Amino acid sequence: MPITTDMFLRRAERDDLDIIVGWMEQPDFQHFLYGDPARSQKQIREQIVSMLGRSGGVSMPGGVYLLIDSKKDGPVGLLSLQNISWRNRSCMLDLYIGNTQLRARMATAIAVYRALEYCFDELNLHRVSAFIYAFNTASWRIFEKAGAVRECVLKDHLPRDGKLYDVYGYGLLRREFEAVRERHRRSTEGFSLSAMMESLGAEEAGGAP
Amino acid sequence: MIKTTHGHIRIADPDDAPFLHGFYDMKTPRAALLDTRREPLMPAVAELRELLGRKEAMQGLFYAIEDDTGAVRGFCSLRGMNQEASFGEVTLLLDDAGYEAPLADEALSFLLARAFTNLRLNKLMAHSLTLETRWRDFLKRHGFEDAGTLRECFFGGGQWHDIHLYTLVPAAPAVRN
Repeated sequence: MPITTDMFLRRAERDDLDIIVGWMEQPDFQHFLYGDPARSQKQIREQIVSMLGRSGGVSMPGGVYLLIDSKKDGPVGLLSLQNISWRNRSCMLDLYIGNTQLRARMATAIAVYRALEYCFDELNLHRVSAFIYAFNTASWRIFEKAGAVRECVLKDHLPRDGKLYDVYGYGLLRREFEAVRERHRRSTEGFSLSAMMESLGAEEAGGAP
Repeated sequence: MIKTTHGHIRIADPDDAPFLHGFYDMKTPRAALLDTRREPLMPAVAELRELLGRKEAMQGLFYAIEDDTGAVRGFCSLRGMNQEASFGEVTLLLDDAGYEAPLADEALSFLLARAFTNLRLNKLMAHSLTLETRWRDFLKRHGFEDAGTLRECFFGGGQWHDIHLYTLVPAAPAVRN
């Protein structure tokens, strides 16, 4: 049975600044992703402004920052595609679910699935990579379910709270994602990127807010 | 300048730019010459000259390797230093036969001493494209361990290439205060 959701992806705008700053200040953000707790709010704000500034314009961007939004719950999380190489058709994917109540639910899996569809179908990439802490089991499991392969293990690589942790390097090739999508076509069609765009398009045509 | 048994190692300077540029011209791509997005860089000699002339480069960790006649044979460096995690990346640019010469061993010994003793790093990483077989053999011969392979992440010469990751930890990790 297809799974449906009211969540959608959209470009992160300057109006989202306060929410994103709030997420980046969360200890979880610094624990699971990156960031120096010593940074001030002003420094975080400046970083985000420069990120959002890069997403506009007509040239091919090196990074794309998308907000995971929900009609019911409001902004849910931030998704970034960084180090985009248009030559090698590859990028690095980072995802943060800022709404902690939605973190353990399907929200993360759906966001990752849509992000991957965006990478492969819209940006025509060949490969998506992610480096994930070994202790962030929920994240690497989702990536594995999407077909990604654990390609490298960096032992005692990065510190958190005074201790070094292993980091896993994952890679997902276009053909691997397509194979997974084909296998789960029936259950994913309700929340695919095209279903999301159809739903948003229908709402716009119907004059919904 | 550091005297080794078969040559010298010194901080690279602007006059090394033309020789360094030769490595960028080679038909075989090298992992050490790709940027963070794994794209090949194609700097002009003047740009390399400017880079090597910058104050931070002069004090930095990019070295020319000379043989005992004073001719430059290649370059080696420590880069991508992560001070919090205490790791960095080692690069060694030589022609293919150079990786089997004693000078290469001496350059690596110099870098390892600098990394593990002077800078007290706890890990060194190295990258290699599949095509760089002699560089990879050199790393394995010096105890670098295979940490994995990033598949099809570089496109060149009409085909996809893998990048191999290697790591080396010191025999006894540095104690950091």
